[in-house]
Amino acid sequence: MTARRAVGLLWPLVPLAILIALPFNGLNDFYLDMFYFTFTYAAMSVGWNIIGGFTGYISLANLGFFGLGSYVAGLFLYYWGWPILLTAPLVGFICAALAAGLGWIALRTKGPSFVIVTLAFTFIAQMLALNLKGLTKGSAGLYLPLLTIDPSYRGDLFYYYMLGVLVLAVVVAIGIRRSRFGLGLIAIREDEGKAEGSGINTNLFKILAFMISIWFAGVAGAVHAQYLNYVDPDLAFELIIMLNMIVMALLGSRSSVWGPVLGAFILFPLQNFLVYWLPSTIAGQIHLALLGVVLILVARFMPEGLITTGANLLHRVRRPVVPEETAPAVAGGAPSETRRAS
Amino acid sequence: MVLLIQGLVLGVLVGGMYALMASGLTLIFGVMRLINIAHAAIVIFSSYLSWTLLTSVGIDPLLSIGILAVVFFIGGALIQAGILSALVDKDLSLALLATLGIANVIEGTEGALWTSTFHQVNTSYTDITYHVGDIYIPLVMVITFAVSVVLLILLFGLLNYTRLGRAIRATTQNRSVAQLVGVNVSRITIIAFGIGVAVAATAGPLIGMYYPFYPNSHWGWIGKLMAIVVLGGLGSFRGAMLAALILGIAEQVTILYIPADWAAMVFFVFLFAVLIVRPQGFFGHVGRESL
Repeated sequence: MTARRAVGLLWPLVPLAILIALPFNGLNDFYLDMFYFTFTYAAMSVGWNIIGGFTGYISLANLGFFGLGSYVAGLFLYYWGWPILLTAPLVGFICAALAAGLGWIALRTKGPSFVIVTLAFTFIAQMLALNLKGLTKGSAGLYLPLLTIDPSYRGDLFYYYMLGVLVLAVVVAIGIRRSRFGLGLIAIREDEGKAEGSGINTNLFKILAFMISIWFAGVAGAVHAQYLNYVDPDLAFELIIMLNMIVMALLGSRSSVWGPVLGAFILFPLQNFLVYWLPSTIAGQIHLALLGVVLILVARFMPEGLITTGANLLHRVRRPVVPEETAPAVAGGAPSETRRAS
Repeated sequence: MVLLIQGLVLGVLVGGMYALMASGLTLIFGVMRLINIAHAAIVIFSSYLSWTLLTSVGIDPLLSIGILAVVFFIGGALIQAGILSALVDKDLSLALLATLGIANVIEGTEGALWTSTFHQVNTSYTDITYHVGDIYIPLVMVITFAVSVVLLILLFGLLNYTRLGRAIRATTQNRSVAQLVGVNVSRITIIAFGIGVAVAATAGPLIGMYYPFYPNSHWGWIGKLMAIVVLGGLGSFRGAMLAALILGIAEQVTILYIPADWAAMVFFVFLFAVLIVRPQGFFGHVGRESL
């Protein structure tokens, strides 16, 4: 292993070590909360990117499963006393199993039906939460039992829990990216017909990618229910959550594992300060509109995202003069190299 | 029995309105295979504007339909030319996400301008209800239905009996072949998107008179509209009309027997049933949506 390769492989340990060490120096609650949300969004965005970025199928169900995860975990705790921080992975699997069924219906036709079905799922999940009043208490919401833990450690606990989920998300995404499965997903994005022709079971691949993506949404939703000690149909299915995970992935770069993480670490803190700074009467609305503007601008002017755009720029700067004859070879090499770098 | 007839009557009236909203969505899908997630947000935005026109200038919502259609046509054409055109050819999923962004910009702007409380376009004739035997018929719904039908006939005529309409239909059938035979596809797409948005805008004042609206109420509508266009066959104008009528009736009859909270479930049940049994809908073509 060359030094260069080692750096390429092990550099994430440095920011990880810093993030692990941070709370020991006494982060105040404001920052603990901010990092908790950043990790949550980053993990969900990495998850969304597995279906939305790698595979190229825009899923709007991740919000529905975030809310469903909140409710399933909340109900387990409320009625049976199952602690959420232990059941969260299980809740993720329940969500993933449902996602398999949804994927089976939605992915039978190529293209737009997936978007429609996934959005419909989010609406259905919210409608159930709102209207199954006997179970969910409807719009009044469920007040969950508090964690029995020294309150001064509560912020740290959620900080480390979601940091762990984020690390898992990144490890899974890297694993997928380097596997034949990941190659298959990218082949589906590039040309589904050819991918199928070359022997990839595209339906199975798409459904698996969707399930993995949804697992993270379900887990994040479950943990969030305990974080708030409360679930209600508005908070659990808040649109801005869906918008955030998509914008973060797109801003960072959809073709990269690290893109959504970068996007989350840039966008969430910015939003956090913005919302504190804006007058509270219109903060929510301006927040939503601005995030929409960011989404439109990124889609229109930087669809490759920061990482890929940056890598391409760097590539051009390093080899400023390209002789005419060798241009095709370089042009052919550039995309695959940036892909591998991610 | 009276209940059932009541449901049928209301269903047809509501169905006409759904058809108006869905026609723009299916037209836009037809010309560029794009699901316009912002479609219902545009409708609600138009509702808000007609409310403002009524309360501050005193323009009747039925008059504001014409004004708003023109304004929204220009706005839609600009959005297509400035944002979506470049994305549709590169990567459809980016265009889809851009429409999601547009929906949120509209929703956030409405919240900032008009607050998050309910609004309704209240005219002198808003609360009039006719009784025919045991059946009640709100005047507003009759107006809405009549205006919708007129507008749909105009749209149908435009699509079927004009050069522009022929170019739009050619683009819907096959973009690249349309281009080959001399249709300026990107210009037609800009016009078609403008028309789709303008049609959505005409629905705004109409539904605003009967249904109270607030900034995020468009999410409820877009779910229903998507079910309609899928049932009709994505991109099919006839299909959307038929599906709107069927789902309007199904919804109105169902809520006679179950709580209205669950009304939207009717749409989703149909949506899933169609996708399982006949994914191309009534008038869709197998594999067409993958183009």
